[in-house]
Amino acid sequence: MEATVRGWSAWAPSLEDAQSWERWAEQPVPLGAEGVPDAKFLPPMLRRRCTPLTKIMLRVAFDACPEAERGHVRTVFASRHGSINESIDMIGAVVRQERLSPAKFSHTVHNAQAGLFSIAAGNREASASLAAQSDTFPFGFLEALTHLEREPDRPVLFVTADVPLAPTFAPLVSEATASYAVGLVLANDGPGPRIGFEIAPGDGAASARWPQAAEFLRWWLAGTDALQMEGARQQFRWSRL
Amino acid sequence: MGERSPCSLTALGVVNCLGRNPSEIWKRLIEGDQSGFRQRTDFVPDRSLWVGEVRDSLPELPPELSRFACRNNALTLLALEQIRGEFETALSRFGSDRIGVILGTSTSGVGDAESAIAHQIESGALSSRFHYDQLEFGGASSFVAELLGLGGPAYTLSTACSSGARALASARSLIRLGVCDAVIAGATDSLCGLTTSGFSALQALSDEITNPMSGNRKGLTLGEGAALFLVTADPDGIQLLGVGESSEAHHMSAPDPAGTGARSAMEFALTDAGLGASEIDYLNLHGTGTPLNDSMESVAVDTVFDSGVPCSSTKAVVGHTLGAAGAMEAAFCWLLLAARDGDQLTLPPHCWDGVQDETLPVLALAEKGQCVRAAHPARVMSNSFGFGGNNCTLVLGEPS
Repeated sequence: MEATVRGWSAWAPSLEDAQSWERWAEQPVPLGAEGVPDAKFLPPMLRRRCTPLTKIMLRVAFDACPEAERGHVRTVFASRHGSINESIDMIGAVVRQERLSPAKFSHTVHNAQAGLFSIAAGNREASASLAAQSDTFPFGFLEALTHLEREPDRPVLFVTADVPLAPTFAPLVSEATASYAVGLVLANDGPGPRIGFEIAPGDGAASARWPQAAEFLRWWLAGTDALQMEGARQQFRWSRL
Repeated sequence: MGERSPCSLTALGVVNCLGRNPSEIWKRLIEGDQSGFRQRTDFVPDRSLWVGEVRDSLPELPPELSRFACRNNALTLLALEQIRGEFETALSRFGSDRIGVILGTSTSGVGDAESAIAHQIESGALSSRFHYDQLEFGGASSFVAELLGLGGPAYTLSTACSSGARALASARSLIRLGVCDAVIAGATDSLCGLTTSGFSALQALSDEITNPMSGNRKGLTLGEGAALFLVTADPDGIQLLGVGESSEAHHMSAPDPAGTGARSAMEFALTDAGLGASEIDYLNLHGTGTPLNDSMESVAVDTVFDSGVPCSSTKAVVGHTLGAAGAMEAAFCWLLLAARDGDQLTLPPHCWDGVQDETLPVLALAEKGQCVRAAHPARVMSNSFGFGGNNCTLVLGEPS
């Protein structure tokens, strides 16, 4: 499979612009866990209701896509944990038989970020939200390619993000913890470098120093011809074409 | 259109409050049998709610997959068992690395997490039976991949009510991209305190059984279940002919009243299928019974189908199965086509109190026992308009 990378963006604590990420790609360090970007680009009513994950995802979505295009791209939002942290609080309320806040509930569906982006950007195009355990990034990339299959002339904005799991569940999951988002705009043609993507059987020997999306970005910005990534059941390979 | 490969929905497994196999479910669906609903008082404090619950015991997961154990995955297992034979055939034909899994859900194992958190509140620790794999959304598809030993892509889509329809759309694309030769695609959702309380807080739930399109409609009745398809590139068998997608850009919990997003989804699906509106023999409405959806959808349907189209909402019989709805209702469309009798198609009736909302266009709502005469190949459409404004419409049809 192939695509053109029309643009990219990313955010993590203290890594808020392209130059910072290019320096990070040369000398990577673990990504921070605490902090959120400012969300001044969102109207106040929407901004108030945003969870940390939402702010991070939407900041990167807006940065990846120039304003003129924001309303015209398909979108794919990928997050392993999504709004689980906020769900924990609501589940506690349910268990204690307390009333739920309807606004909070609306904002914890897994596609909340997609819905909010659609509203903030006036975007009426197709949108998907997904999760795939530790392989959320590569399968999000694949889902983005399915959107190019369905509508070959429309670019796809693909954003992967997560924030650290709350203490209730954090001890149960072994992963590189960070607050981060990585965004790519993929298309079938147009200006930008070409990228190849293959999936092959793997033996499940996955372990990562940083989130997969950050590993991808590190390679894209500073790496060699190909990136091989081990997943739970597959091997993923990206290459410069 | 180009040379795009066919997309066949080769086999179906389905479970909901009407039953645990296609023929049982189809029989009760066409009778408009609402006895699958029962009242529960333990979901929302001080409320008695009608729900479409899958009754009686559910299968246990195999011990080596106990980390995935939850009601949602047990419902998935019930549906999977029904397509085991066709799956084994696909496995010998294609090999395990060429078969993928795409599932939709809006709940995953939340219901079981409620018990785990209750346990923690009481005793300070999560139950030892709790594993994160059962709760996270990705677990729903990983479970199936691990159970069946599949090496193809496996991921979970979660876009509220359109999740199940999206799973079929992506499955078709994976086959057309050449990544898979077959995909297990569909969706599962299960009743739980969080979802019922959330919709209750949004004042979206009706006290009575849902009454879609009625002037007296007052909201949703929730349901649960699973609908799984084996999707292939077979030219024979019931085909997925078209997919139409859009977003509302309006509000998280309400659709654009003008119905623009719904209209786009239906029109894009027709274009994708290479069909005109008059070639659709039946439309399965999203028809949730909320004031806003039903008025928006009536307007959109009336605009797209200017000669009308026989239609019904099956949510008045199985409930709104949320993340499963798009796949569940595609399953009903599949069953409708599979049950062709000569030149007649029997339609699932629209169950309501018969009171037209005077402010809305009149739709050709199907009555119990209604059949339509449909020449080969028949085509049907299914709408799913999700929370957060995520829309997906499917067109299914008999092979030409």
